[in-house]
Amino acid sequence: MRVLFIFLVIFSAGNISFSQIDENWTLIARNSGTYVAIDGYEVRLMGFTAGIGAPVIAPGPTLRATTGDSVKLRLFNLSQGAPHTVHLHGLDVDQANDGVPHLSFEVEHDSSGYYYFKAPHPGTYLYHCHVISPVHVQGGMYGIIIIDAEDPTITWDGGYAFDKEYHWMTSEIDTIWHNDTIINHEHEMDGMPHNIPKYYEPQYFLVNGAMDFQHEEKEGINVHEGIETKILLRLISIGNFANKYTFPPELNATIISSDGRPLPTAEESDTLWIFPGERYQVLCNPLTEFIDSVQVDYHELTMGAAKGTQYINVVIEGVFDLPKVEQTSITFYPNPSQSYLQFSENEFTYTVFSISGALIQQGNSANGLVNTQHLSSGNYLIKIEHSVGANTFFFNKE
Amino acid sequence: MKFSLLLIGVFSLWCAHATILTEELWINNGVSNVVDSPEIPYTAFNSSDEFETLNAILTVNIGDTVVFTIHNNDSLTHGFNIKNITLPDGPYVIAPGGLITVEVPFENYGAYIYYDDYNYPHYKSLGAAGTIMVSNTEHPVFYWNIKEHDKEWNVSITEGDFMPIEDYSPLYFTINGLSNPETQDDPISKITGNVSDTLIVCIANTGQMTHSLHFHGYHATITYSSENPSHVDREKDTFPIQEMQTLLVYVVPDKTGKYPVHDHNLVATSGNGIYANGMFHIIDIVE
Repeated sequence: MRVLFIFLVIFSAGNISFSQIDENWTLIARNSGTYVAIDGYEVRLMGFTAGIGAPVIAPGPTLRATTGDSVKLRLFNLSQGAPHTVHLHGLDVDQANDGVPHLSFEVEHDSSGYYYFKAPHPGTYLYHCHVISPVHVQGGMYGIIIIDAEDPTITWDGGYAFDKEYHWMTSEIDTIWHNDTIINHEHEMDGMPHNIPKYYEPQYFLVNGAMDFQHEEKEGINVHEGIETKILLRLISIGNFANKYTFPPELNATIISSDGRPLPTAEESDTLWIFPGERYQVLCNPLTEFIDSVQVDYHELTMGAAKGTQYINVVIEGVFDLPKVEQTSITFYPNPSQSYLQFSENEFTYTVFSISGALIQQGNSANGLVNTQHLSSGNYLIKIEHSVGANTFFFNKE
Repeated sequence: MKFSLLLIGVFSLWCAHATILTEELWINNGVSNVVDSPEIPYTAFNSSDEFETLNAILTVNIGDTVVFTIHNNDSLTHGFNIKNITLPDGPYVIAPGGLITVEVPFENYGAYIYYDDYNYPHYKSLGAAGTIMVSNTEHPVFYWNIKEHDKEWNVSITEGDFMPIEDYSPLYFTINGLSNPETQDDPISKITGNVSDTLIVCIANTGQMTHSLHFHGYHATITYSSENPSHVDREKDTFPIQEMQTLLVYVVPDKTGKYPVHDHNLVATSGNGIYANGMFHIIDIVE
């Protein structure tokens, strides 16, 4: 009887981690997504969604748990095509749950697979499909994982307090890798080797799946906060290029951790390089009001040349008594601008300000166009007043 | 006085452990036949006059001095240099059929790349670059000489018609001259061990491009970085290694299993467009 009791105690203890699931995540693998690029070009996507009716976009849903949680992740493959997996990148899970097809398991169409793990150190991680990973990751099968500290207002136990957070996941798109024959590729279970494109020359450079003016249309990219707000930036690279971040000095950026571990020594720096698969956390503590942008350069790794640049708007509230930069349905392109801005609103009056608040240019537009040819290179604000109201936008002149 | 005696004692002890080693290397040429047998023209520093794509791996203790004798077994002129170490009386040029002798003290912990600096970076990019690990460790060490290859680039060099660097477009990606799955049979690079072992990986990027290595299963601790000393002691699952950079990383496995390590520039996990015949390896940890 005593032996049976001891056995039951041991058995219960050994299974406690996965008999008590703290977080249940679901990802549905699809290959029916479309990304409409800034020039209107439609790019086929694979991707993960949280629900059957959700649109397939990249990145997929952000997954979140608290350190120490027992997590169960269900992958349901509804792709009508290749098998898929979820690799929990950086979470150091065991082999069975690592999401590498020939070393763990892959999930066929119309089937489910389950991953179990304990949420590790608080930090920023990512997930992606590991089946023919160059193709499926480029296809869009990736997303962010955040592991919170027990106190979610600090980075980790004994770490830094923060008030707001932003997640920027960078990637690129080479349209050749997205044609139908590649997205709908034939695949045998455990089928390797597999032919893929030999060259990678992306045309689109994304932050959270958005480029240029599309940043305005997505929440959580552009920064709009008050002074003395402690802002945690979670930076994730899932492309095949390196990213060079240049932060405005007024952000007072400090690089505090990488790959889910605190840096031995935090580094105050206005620049940060992030390479494919890396994650960094940067704590910003702006003490003055300003409007500027974070510059993200995309460098290919063979010769190190920059092939693309994105600007993420940063508005720290109240500067120069200018109107707020607001979320609005009005859009414009291109940004950066070389000679013009084209707005989705046709008729308006406009005023262009320098970053220091000086009035640079005023005018009217009857067709949505604003001429920027004579502006010097740099960052500007443009306020447009139209029939419904007024909006202010940030743009860069190349 | 007492302090001086102590210093002399320490110096004597150091001298007793410092050793003068001799190392004989041959510069050989041949071809690399990874993935689909592309016959890429190749040059390497080998420990005999027989060509192999793997450059000789040298291990020395901190404080040792190595007397190198290098034979040029090729019909082209070559050079000899060691990154981040100033060689006495350099630069060293070795005529076809000739040899040189160089004495080099290794005073600091780390990993160093010896390489052909003649017509740099072209001759080096033919493959002539190897690793020297300087350490007193008794832990198992695994050596990764990582590199990418552009056949046209190598052919142009051997024909004396150097392509502009902008045209460098590699399609093959190797560890110790091998691509996956051949890497799995390479005991020098295949990371194996037991749970709780301290496993050291000595990584040298002798190519021209940056690679971003991702470890599944475990974080690794950087203990030496030739180009970024401030990165020492960082725990990472993914880290870049730039052209001609070396890293020493420690992995202490906390569980058994087989886990990939691969370039997370995922294009580099392929070879000439064939996945996964690129820079891809598997760690194998048992109880």
